[in-house]
Amino acid sequence: MSTALLEVRDLSCRFGGLMALDGVSFSVASGEIFGLIGPNGAGKTTLFNLVSGLTPPSSGSVIWRGAAITDLPPHRRNRLGLARTFQNLRLFDDLSVLDNLLVALERHSRSSSIDGLLCTARHRQAERQRREAAWQLLEELGLSALADRQAGTLAYGDRRRLEMARALGTDPALLLLDEPAAGLNPAEKEGLCALIQELRQRHRLTVMIIEHHVPLLMRLCDRMAVLDFGVRIALGSPNVVRRDPRVIAAYLGGDASGETP
Amino acid sequence: MIDNGLLVQMLLGALLGLSVYLPLAAGQLSLATPAFYAVGGTLAALLSTRWSVLGATAAGGFPVLSLLLELVLGGALAGTLALLVGRLVLRLRGIYLAIATIALVEIVRVAILNLPFTGGAIGIFSIPQPFTDASGYLLTALILLVLTGWICQRLDTMPLGRAMAAIRDDELAAGCMGIDTTRVKLTAFVLSAVVAGTSGALAAHFLNTWNARQGSFDVSITTLAFVILGGSRAWLGPVVGGLLLTALPELLRPVGDVRLVLFGLVIVLGPVLAPRGLVSPELLERLGRWGSPTREQKP
Repeated sequence: MSTALLEVRDLSCRFGGLMALDGVSFSVASGEIFGLIGPNGAGKTTLFNLVSGLTPPSSGSVIWRGAAITDLPPHRRNRLGLARTFQNLRLFDDLSVLDNLLVALERHSRSSSIDGLLCTARHRQAERQRREAAWQLLEELGLSALADRQAGTLAYGDRRRLEMARALGTDPALLLLDEPAAGLNPAEKEGLCALIQELRQRHRLTVMIIEHHVPLLMRLCDRMAVLDFGVRIALGSPNVVRRDPRVIAAYLGGDASGETP
Repeated sequence: MIDNGLLVQMLLGALLGLSVYLPLAAGQLSLATPAFYAVGGTLAALLSTRWSVLGATAAGGFPVLSLLLELVLGGALAGTLALLVGRLVLRLRGIYLAIATIALVEIVRVAILNLPFTGGAIGIFSIPQPFTDASGYLLTALILLVLTGWICQRLDTMPLGRAMAAIRDDELAAGCMGIDTTRVKLTAFVLSAVVAGTSGALAAHFLNTWNARQGSFDVSITTLAFVILGGSRAWLGPVVGGLLLTALPELLRPVGDVRLVLFGLVIVLGPVLAPRGLVSPELLERLGRWGSPTREQKP
């Protein structure tokens, strides 16, 4: 815990009269799976937007490996190793599945646009490496058969996995997953759980995950934070959080088994 | 009915179509093409009539090498202007960007109309001729079009082109995938300006006279119609649109100003009858997979 990969310090975000986040602080250690739960409107996605750079905070700072990145635009944060998926899926719908990945893999390019125009050996080699990496990710997430399909035409579960593959394509150290299990059936949720653990191993990831399905999260996470109306009301291991009276009152509705109504 | 002169105009139309297409391929609706076209044309007109080093003869002749130099300079000046203006206007999105680029067209037009050395409303005339007839222009325009088309074709298999397509689909997500969206959009905008500026430099010599009306808002709409009719999803679309729509009014010259109504009709009916334009990626795939990204083979 001495070297936090990501730290948010006293982060606030105000939309007009609404305090979406109010002085939230916590840190995520390298290698852990960190869960973020809270009722609808608690500020979970807002927090992701602040961390990934889509929304500027009203105050507070985001710290990456000890350095403030609060003022960096999203693409710079991504290149530092911070990738995310979106709750409502934002794929490049008109591009093929493979091209969605190739876009994400651009950072591995050591060839310039001039190389690309003239189709030099350097460009061809970079392109070959990108394609190999893309096929590997497709294989890993079970999407190889769909490589040529337009992303917009995929089934929902495939789209979810493609979003994860695309985020992984940017070779992140920290992966932010915004409700990856939304809309999946129980069996698929189990599969996703195993997949996330597998991916963490293989890509040496730190994972931050927003999820409404609390039992799943309790099993998956090393630590978690609970937000309610923009305030962090609990932080700790699932066992600690599960017993926290404020969490039970705010979110679990007194049902200590953790099942949402 | 179609002579070499009209063919040159058609090719210039295709080039301007590509100039509108390039920013659009990155999701940016820019109507600034006529401004860059006017800048390139004015530069060529000024250089060839005022700067004797280029070698204009008293009989109105002009070395072809000097023309090539002007094409490069016209493109470079337009590109530089795009680089400066783009940093500001590309912060705007959608219709706001379109309006800002229309403003640029107006600013350039009024500037050319009022600058002390651009000839006012009459403009610059007796621009020297590097070629004795239209066939030389035809060849030059064809080379420019092939070159531009080749760049557009290459873009499809390059990180830059894929980044442009990603931004067109979802700019926000593209940023989160590590794409420097500002830079990619600016690159597309500058490329668009270079194509328009170079075309303008050639057009100035071809038309023999150049004035502020060459780069008016009308041209914004005309060139936009090229892309809407031809299709904005494959580079061949604006080429086909530019060729067809430039030829049409000339062939319909007897009907006079009604041709402007025709353009309006195309803009209204085009998206209704052929939402993806005459040349869509699907069509190209059926025609033999040329002009759209090639299909992927698993290694």
